[in-house]
Amino acid sequence: MVSNILNNYRSVVGLAVVLLVVLLIELFEVRAAIYPVLFPFFEWLKYSSWIGYLGTTYGSVYATVQAGHLISMAVIGGAVLVTDLRLLGVLLKDIPSETITEGTHKCFKYSLIVAIATGIFCAAGVADKVYYMPVFWVKMLALLAGSCFMFFIKQPLLNSRPHEEIEPWTMRLLAVASILVWFTVAATGRWIGFS
Amino acid sequence: MSNGKWDDKTIAAASSAVIILGGLAYYWVGEVQSTVELLELAYGSFKFFNNPLVF
Repeated sequence: MVSNILNNYRSVVGLAVVLLVVLLIELFEVRAAIYPVLFPFFEWLKYSSWIGYLGTTYGSVYATVQAGHLISMAVIGGAVLVTDLRLLGVLLKDIPSETITEGTHKCFKYSLIVAIATGIFCAAGVADKVYYMPVFWVKMLALLAGSCFMFFIKQPLLNSRPHEEIEPWTMRLLAVASILVWFTVAATGRWIGFS
Repeated sequence: MSNGKWDDKTIAAASSAVIILGGLAYYWVGEVQSTVELLELAYGSFKFFNNPLVF
């Protein structure tokens, strides 16, 4: 019975486990306990690591890497918007949505790798500042949630069958949630920049 | 479950999308609310087109 549920509802069980872990983390105040422990790492990142040294010493290097970060975020935004607006039936209706989601996902994957790599460099230069910003942690949470949602929930469903066989309201929900989560990543990123 | 469309992946997708939408709506509504409260505290009232800082 249990093994039957685990086999047939693997994704649902996985989601329930993740929610349970998040609930336990909040309930037992694990997040509050971990937060002060992270500070020495952020200090090391800015003052002792080579990326922190490069970022704080050479403004031109920091600006160049940050430009790469912004461009990769723009590509992620473009890939997300094209995919999700197609799923909502707003854009490119004459092209099958399977073709678009397959093409944009490759672009999304590589841009995400570049955005994370350049983002670590950018954060290292101002690590002692971003540590105290709630909006930085909101961005990290949105990035984690958005990436997990994309790789473990959205793409597996979209790749599992022709899109006309997927429940239409589920597709719309997926598209709106995806747009909102990546909007949050972009907006909180700019918020960090202006704080 | 009616026509076999509600399988494992679909349920996980719909429920996680609802959780994400709910969480982010809660966050952004909270941010708007705190911004309005801050403006009211600073200027006495919240007005888009009557900002005392704009002469």
